[in-house]
Amino acid sequence: MIEFRNVKKIYTGGINTVALDDISFVIEKEEFVSLVGHSGAGKSTLLKLLYAEEKPTSGEILFNGEDIAKLTLGQLPYHRRRIGTVFQDFKLLPRKTLFENVSFALEVSGHSDKEIRELVPQILEIVGLAHKMESYPREISGGEQQRVAIARALVHRPPLIIADEPTGNLDPISSWGIIQLLLKINKLGTTVLLATHNKEIVNRIKKRVITLDQGKIIRDHSKGRYAI
Amino acid sequence: MLILTLRRTFTSGFTHFRRNGWLSFAVISIISLTLLIISTLIVLSIAANIIIRSVQDKVDISVYFKSEVPETRIIEFRSAVLQYKEVKSADYISKNRALDEFKVKNADNPMILQSIDAIGDNPLNASVNIKAVTPDKYEIIATAIQNSTFKDDISRINYAKNKIVIERLNNVLSSTRKVGAVLATLFSLIAILITFNAIRITIYAHRQEIEIMRLVGASNPYIRLPFIFEGVIYGAISAIVVMLFLFPLIRFAAPYIAGAVSVKDVQANFLHYFWLIFFVQIVVGVALGTISSLIAVRRYLKI
Repeated sequence: MIEFRNVKKIYTGGINTVALDDISFVIEKEEFVSLVGHSGAGKSTLLKLLYAEEKPTSGEILFNGEDIAKLTLGQLPYHRRRIGTVFQDFKLLPRKTLFENVSFALEVSGHSDKEIRELVPQILEIVGLAHKMESYPREISGGEQQRVAIARALVHRPPLIIADEPTGNLDPISSWGIIQLLLKINKLGTTVLLATHNKEIVNRIKKRVITLDQGKIIRDHSKGRYAI
Repeated sequence: MLILTLRRTFTSGFTHFRRNGWLSFAVISIISLTLLIISTLIVLSIAANIIIRSVQDKVDISVYFKSEVPETRIIEFRSAVLQYKEVKSADYISKNRALDEFKVKNADNPMILQSIDAIGDNPLNASVNIKAVTPDKYEIIATAIQNSTFKDDISRINYAKNKIVIERLNNVLSSTRKVGAVLATLFSLIAILITFNAIRITIYAHRQEIEIMRLVGASNPYIRLPFIFEGVIYGAISAIVVMLFLFPLIRFAAPYIAGAVSVKDVQANFLHYFWLIFFVQIVVGVALGTISSLIAVRRYLKI
């Protein structure tokens, strides 16, 4: 499903920083992959390349056989609709209700009002927040906010979910709840790519782990543990 | 799909406008000020035109004929002059009519009337009064007449007398146009800069929303449209606000700019221009809002 071929990313500026150095790997459909490494190891850069927030300096990134770097500006939105993104800081809109935060993702991709009224409660049910649909983000806990973000990422049924430190702002119990939710989504057939530096979580998931260090892949184990 | 997009983006733009009360107020006052400055310039140029036109109507050149020249020859001259494209009108004033007019003009001066009667014969010359299309054409017309086949029939052309008035009028006219154009350009530039910055602030307030829209795969037009609609709403409301202020202002100022023309005339003239001014306001306001929005939102849409 995803293939990185000799991908290099250098941030040019005052000083040239090599963020990713000759990265190659393959992620199959319906896999659950944890991406681990210290801060600055290149995890976020790797994810940004996937949803085309950044372009690689060299190398190819294939998504269903298609090179992402070759997408035109007009095609990018359609590419992004194939990827659900979840972030450490949730990125919910504070002045919209939970329902509106999720329906937003459907509105921009042109779903009808009828579809939105059906899909949004369904997806909020899956993340266990259907009863708080009319609340605002500030009225619910961090763990719940992250669930809303996951609901928003899921609502147009993308084949891939990217989670960048989704538990970074959460306590251990909420964190594990979020991971369980991601595992459940994965079981339902969505590929999940999780970037984290939470050792405990990675060791509990017992799925494939790719370890990055200073922009290079130093380990790629199919039943991996967090080990740096 | 298109209608759905338009409806959603318009609603979203309107919501931005409504929920950011103070910001909307600030932007609208800035655009309104700009429009007020621009429309004041328009109004001033209309006022200048009214005054100039009223003076223009009083300017003409008269061609006086020698007394032995037959009427048919003068009528021939009149139709020849009317062929000039610079000439707007040419009135034939016969000896008798000239005398009648002279008598009316001097009705309260019995001395003059008596002396005319004493002469017995009509001492006045027949003439043709010529009005040009624009004041700068009098010179050409006068020269053309002096070089025509009629030059021996003409006793005098009073162009020289009017020359100074005509020239002064031309100067005033061209300098008001120049100053007006420079001022209008200058203020439009300032206005675009200010509006641009104001809308940038509103977009800055929505940067998080823009970021999320991009992440969930909103197309660029979809992200842009709410801000453009917001700009359109700002422009339209500002235009209406300015019209509410402008006409009472004109009513108040009319007596001062009227001068040679009557107050009623000035007001009637502006009412005549009401829809034109309103239309210009709406177009300029909406364009100002839209262009500023477009430029301001651009930098959030890279990649």
